[in-house]
Amino acid sequence: MTARAILQHALPLISTHGFTRKTLSLAVMQLPTPHSQPLSETAITALFGNGDDARRTLINGWLKGGLEDMQHGKTTGGTMQHILKRRLRWNEPVLEHLPEAFALLVAPQQTLPRFDIRPAISHAASVADEACYLTSDSPEGTSWYVRRAVIASIYTAAELHQITSPQTSEAFLDELLEKSESVRRVVAESSLFAEYVGKSWGSLIKSRGIF
Amino acid sequence: MPAASRRLRPLQLHARLTHSSPSSDTTHFGFQNVPRHKKEDMVKSVFSSVASSYDVMNDAMSLGVHRLWKHDFVSTLNPGASGPSKCIDLAGGTGDIALRILDHAREKHYDRETTVDIVDLNPDMLKEGQKRFKQTMYHNTPQVAFHLANAQALPPAQFPSNNYDLYTIAFGIRNCTDIPAVLREAHRVLKPGGTFACLEFSRVDNSLLSTLYDSYSFSIIPLMGSIIAADRDSYQYLVESIRRFPSQPDFSEMIREAGFTTGAPREGKGGAWRNLWGGVAAIHAGVKL
Repeated sequence: MTARAILQHALPLISTHGFTRKTLSLAVMQLPTPHSQPLSETAITALFGNGDDARRTLINGWLKGGLEDMQHGKTTGGTMQHILKRRLRWNEPVLEHLPEAFALLVAPQQTLPRFDIRPAISHAASVADEACYLTSDSPEGTSWYVRRAVIASIYTAAELHQITSPQTSEAFLDELLEKSESVRRVVAESSLFAEYVGKSWGSLIKSRGIF
Repeated sequence: MPAASRRLRPLQLHARLTHSSPSSDTTHFGFQNVPRHKKEDMVKSVFSSVASSYDVMNDAMSLGVHRLWKHDFVSTLNPGASGPSKCIDLAGGTGDIALRILDHAREKHYDRETTVDIVDLNPDMLKEGQKRFKQTMYHNTPQVAFHLANAQALPPAQFPSNNYDLYTIAFGIRNCTDIPAVLREAHRVLKPGGTFACLEFSRVDNSLLSTLYDSYSFSIIPLMGSIIAADRDSYQYLVESIRRFPSQPDFSEMIREAGFTTGAPREGKGGAWRNLWGGVAAIHAGVKL
């Protein structure tokens, strides 16, 4: 029995008990050979860390579970829209606990910095990377980074929308993806047009013998 | 591996040149090889010799830092947070950890039901502990009891299986001949869900700090032993025994092999161990599931 296995058994309890040490302590009563008593505070500290560190371990475990669940989206649909919607659905059972969970991740653990946005960026980047990998959406060069940055931004906006208005989150995601696609088309066509214009001017200038 | 860490430090090089690996019939006693059956008596004699000045020497050697480490150790374990706990403290002769456990449970959780069984191989160390406890409110109460026993083979009649919520051993396990046997006994006496916690001197990971630490350990500490306690050899042994103890990853693996579940196999938050002062000491923990 590993600490990771206990963490897995804690995930279904989050909707009821939140991202708390209590959730971790009750997880042992869901094991295949269940314990008769929850884990003590001392045991939770030994396995997952002191104070809020154990809660952060649980939150990170849940986020990782979300990434693993996205892989099922590939077998039942496979488009970027489908996979991101699947990830949003992973949030639904624990929606009321998410604001506190994200706040805990960015809360300062030392005096400085006053808050740490790296976990938020890392979460969005992981979702975007996983979605691009599963849809085989991997352009080359700098487009690789641009594509992931765009998907991360879209997902972050959709997730924030979901917290305040869960019923309209999927429609909001569709709208953002559509706009991003049309922006991408416009940018590509504009670049092509600008290239043609540039080449034309170049040829004109050469034909005049200026250079 | 960076070139700087491949360079052997003079004290360790000297130790390696004068010391060979033990055979199966021998074990280490500091940097010496001794027959396995003799180590226990030799360790007993070291601690009988240092018992009366143990706390003074700890303060002198660690410049009082050992108190911070022990405070950190007990605070992290937070006894009493989930209700009264039945605790056992091995190699706890002078009662340092036991007293901190009882005080923490009382002050933080208003708990006067937590109990600690203090176990030590050395009767002189136990006597020092009993003397200390006479000055406290726990003297002659059911909250503390003193037992003379061997951590490698706790008598089942006195220490039944699945009996304790918390097993602690601070700066004692490195003196045991058979560390896996100690860990197996710890696993036996703990209840399912019970926690094993060990505070011990460990390996320093920073090479500059390690050099300074070696110089301090092998020069200053035995000298202090000869001045304050008139016993250089015992303190030389104590310093050498620290160097023979397994590294943090190796010891956490031994804990898992004994049947405990630990945090992730790394240092730090949620990890199987936590370094104190860059690895001069480390806290290892595991849970019996």
